[in-house]
Amino acid sequence: MGLDFLNRTFRTTAALLLIFVPVGLYYLGFYQTLAILSGGIWGILNVLFITRLVQSTIRAEGAQTSRAVAFALIKFPALYAAGYFLLKVPQFNPIHLLIGFSLLLAVMVLKVLGRLYLGLDNSVHKNEKLQKVH
Amino acid sequence: MEYQAMLAWALPMGVGLAAVGSGLGLGRAVGSAMEAIGRQPEASGKIQTAMIIGAALIEALTIYALVVFFILSGKIG
Repeated sequence: MGLDFLNRTFRTTAALLLIFVPVGLYYLGFYQTLAILSGGIWGILNVLFITRLVQSTIRAEGAQTSRAVAFALIKFPALYAAGYFLLKVPQFNPIHLLIGFSLLLAVMVLKVLGRLYLGLDNSVHKNEKLQKVH
Repeated sequence: MEYQAMLAWALPMGVGLAAVGSGLGLGRAVGSAMEAIGRQPEASGKIQTAMIIGAALIEALTIYALVVFFILSGKIG
């Protein structure tokens, strides 16, 4: 399970959000769908910036300070301020924002559970082999 | 103490506790990941991914607490 796992998670969540938009517009309404979509996009950007921040700071060759500072400045003041303003939009229900935000986490957890169930990670195979040996 | 006063006292405390718990959890997770990468540099990609997933989930708990704060803060006063 490498860093490509996270990129696949972002793509799956974005695809789910795109699929959800027409369904949400039909069944929920414009602002509710927009709130869930905004929450989802915010969640993807949040984890994307965590990933980029970790990648630029934890490297064998040494940290890329300028990139790390740039990502930290985008994530912590800018993205969190955007989240605050989303919560303050009177048409948006915070519950809908939360549902959108949780979508990425749900996709992530389900993907990890799927990998564990299917035994796709080498470490799982190694553990099984070790258990058989012992 | 009336309901609204209790809510006004408990909401910031709850968010503060969530932030402290999240900070402690993230600190432990990142510290352990650093130790693991130091021991096995060749597995740094996998360790980083696991750490990012953990960090995202830990951070989400604080954000949930913050959203609950925003939902309930409308009931104060």
